[in-house]
Formats: sequence, structure tokens, C-alpha cells
Amino acid sequence: MSIQRSTVRKVLGLKEKWCHKSILGYSDTETVKLDFDNASFKTVRYWARRAMRWFKLGGFLILKSSANHYHVVFNRCVSWSENMHVLAWASLLSHNKRAQRYALMQCIKESSTLRVSPKKQKPSPRIVYRYGKQGGRILDFLHYRKMIKNIIRKVNVCEPCMS
Amino acid sequence: MTKRIAVYGVFETLAPVVQRYWKRRIDGVLQRYWKKTTRLKKVTMSGRYEFHGRGRDLYKAVVRAHRVMPRGYVDVSAEKFLEHPEKYGQEGSWIEREVVS
Repeated sequence: MSIQRSTVRKVLGLKEKWCHKSILGYSDTETVKLDFDNASFKTVRYWARRAMRWFKLGGFLILKSSANHYHVVFNRCVSWSENMHVLAWASLLSHNKRAQRYALMQCIKESSTLRVSPKKQKPSPRIVYRYGKQGGRILDFLHYRKMIKNIIRKVNVCEPCMS
Repeated sequence: MTKRIAVYGVFETLAPVVQRYWKRRIDGVLQRYWKKTTRLKKVTMSGRYEFHGRGRDLYKAVVRAHRVMPRGYVDVSAEKFLEHPEKYGQEGSWIEREVVS
């Protein structure tokens, strides 16, 4: 069977990357999450370790979202009030203005969110450091992260960008 | 435990143009009112969906959310959103703009 040349009007190529303009993130109230912007890796690791020891959070995971921008996820399951306690403590003592702004925004929303999908030129956050126990909330976070990435992959295949 | 995904960002949508009018009340005070006209204008807004539910529903809801823009801050189960997406959002398109998570 041959296809007439005139019937093919446009090729919806899978080579072209779909522009993912909305942002997908992981959101909950029981996991302590920190967002350090404009901070070096050593500073982030120092504050993550200090918070983990002070609040007995078990362990943590550091993700690099872009240059000098890091996310921290802690292992122990906490209540929303304790979550805000840790977030406010770490952001105030570290004197990081962006972290303080992040803490305020999570208070307004009443749930904390970390980005999982790519944003503009920034790729998805990558895991760069693990410390302590990883079997609690970190495991759940990684599970949801995988699920969100699967959704992004499926959507990219189904709806390729033509712009 | 239910799974939870946030879809957020800045988008463009069509919103009705509002018109101001004045009306004298019974007590004599001139009161200002606003009414929505049938004219539409393009506006840039930011919004957010918080979906929770099963993995399959979440996937479908995320795909649907690419065409249906949220009305402010929408916290809804993916299943309910898929039943009546027009109840939680309106037509529009996401645009690339800096947002804080």
C-alpha cells in the first residue's frame, strides 16, 4: 500500500521538545523541606546538618536545582506546626533572604512545595548529597518524584511542541 | 496515603471587562457598583492546582491542566477535577515567567 504524497500535510515530529510552561512540584505538610537560593553547597550542607541534629530529623537529602540553588528534604515525619518551626528556624538563622521568603510563602499556602519539573532554562533538581536515614519521608519524596517525572515523560511523548 | 502534585505558574486567559456605574440608594447615598460586561480582555495571572488522588487520575488531571487554567488557588481531588474541569478553571495557556515555588 502506498501513501499519496499530497495526503501528508504536516509531520508532528517527536524530535522536537515539548515546551513545559507550567511547573510540576511535590507538595505536602508532613515533610520538612528547605529551599536555599544564592548559597554555596557547603553552607547548605552545614545548615541541613545543624537542623537535622537540633530537631532530630534523622537524615536529609540535598538536591541541586541550579547553580547555587539547593533544595533540602528531611527524613522524619512531622506535624505542620513543627514543619513551620524548623523552616522558620533554619531560614532565620542562616540569614538567607530567599529562604526566608520561601518560608513565608509556604506559611501562606499552608503546605510546602518543591519543584520537580524543569523550569525555563533550569533542569529538574538533581540529588547531590545524602546523609543519615533515608527510609522515611525521603523515600516517599523520591517515590512521588519518580511518579511526577513519569507523568512529564508521558506528556512529552503524547504532546510534542510545534513552536 | 494520597498522592499530591502541585501544578503552578503564570498564564494568559480571557477575563470579562468590568464597568463602573453609580446608583443612588434609598437613603440618598450615591453607591458605586461594578458589573461584568460581555467584552473580554486578555489578562496575565498566576494560579495553582493542588491535585491529590490516584496515580492514573493525577496523570489525566495534569494533562487536562495544560488547557484549563486555575481560578486562583485550587485544591481539588484529581477525580473531581476530571469530572468537571470547567468548575475549577477556564480556557487559557501557560506562559514562561519567573515564579517562586
